[in-house]
Amino acid sequence: MTRVWTVVLSVWAMLAIVAVLAWSQRPAPAAAPQPAAQTLVVKGANGKQQLVLVQPGTATAPHATTSTSGVVKP
Amino acid sequence: MTRRLERLEFRAVGTTCAAAVTTGGPGDLRRAARALSAAKAEVAACERALSRFDPASDLSLLNAAEGEWTAVDRRLVESLRLAIRMREDTGGRFDPTVLPALVAAGYDRSFEQLTPRPARSAHGWRAGATIEVDEQAGCVRIEAGAAVDLGGIGKGYAATRALEAMAEAWPALPGGLVDLGGDLAIAGETPERGPWRIAIEDARTPGATLGTLLLHGGGVATSGRDRRRFGPDGGLHHLIDPATGRPAAPGPLTVTVVAPTAAEAEGHATAVAISTREAAAAHVAAHPRVAALYVPAEGEPHVLGPLPLARQRLVVRVAA
Repeated sequence: MTRVWTVVLSVWAMLAIVAVLAWSQRPAPAAAPQPAAQTLVVKGANGKQQLVLVQPGTATAPHATTSTSGVVKP
Repeated sequence: MTRRLERLEFRAVGTTCAAAVTTGGPGDLRRAARALSAAKAEVAACERALSRFDPASDLSLLNAAEGEWTAVDRRLVESLRLAIRMREDTGGRFDPTVLPALVAAGYDRSFEQLTPRPARSAHGWRAGATIEVDEQAGCVRIEAGAAVDLGGIGKGYAATRALEAMAEAWPALPGGLVDLGGDLAIAGETPERGPWRIAIEDARTPGATLGTLLLHGGGVATSGRDRRRFGPDGGLHHLIDPATGRPAAPGPLTVTVVAPTAAEAEGHATAVAISTREAAAAHVAAHPRVAALYVPAEGEPHVLGPLPLARQRLVVRVAA
């Protein structure tokens, strides 16, 4: 009888380990599809037209912002 | 593993600064901290060498040397060599020897310490003073009576150096960015493995952006007359036209330039910021590795130049 219970517990323990591993290694959710970029024709240098890839409105935050440098007090 | 951007913000070179690195997981945190710390230290070292407001800086010692050869930090040697090249590349519209004219205009101390006073004339000043660099000896010389200001290139140079310092501290650095008051050096991958997204602030509308640059590397700099105004009624700005020795009359409100390095971007931005739109377009057309967004005080912004840099493209979302 003891041997039977040992086998049952071992099986349950193994199932638990497999379940934990499966949970921790689950694939990341797929990223939401990005809206497609559009190409615009813009009048550039010397009146020449050039193609500019336009990024559609996106909720993705920029990594940084460029501007004329502000002044902070030391 | 979860990739994320680890960021360090600090104050230096008179403005707000940040460094950021892409990490691949918790195991990278220590390496990221070491890289970010190296970036901050390198910016501080650049400031000690290049600031005209620190009387003990290498630049101040050079400006006081009365035409004598002076041994200086390698950062000053490198930045002066770059400044000489930028002066040639911009036909003299970027000139590091405008300091006497800038002081005469009233920008004679660190900006936050300025008090309004009428501008003086820079009598006897002329553009294009001689700068000599002996790289092997680590010595430089400027002609007697001349003085150098690296304000038009120094932040870009420091950002470039800080990015290199991060890569030295973490040789397998996946990607990183250094932002010195809006002048940026960029390399490698973002956490999302896509391009770095750099918003361009709209100086005409507080809180708005003109668009987003998508970059895989290189440098970005913005120069303009929307900030750092001084003199009675804030009527003067810091962009000196070497042709006149006075704050430039023509030019955009701001210009954002993308170039192979942050230092080059800042040098070109300084030159374009005192140029008419036609001159700016000609300048960008003559430099195929440079692109710009020229933003006049009124009217539509103008995209100048293609962007043929390898693995790099300019993306502009035109404001509605």
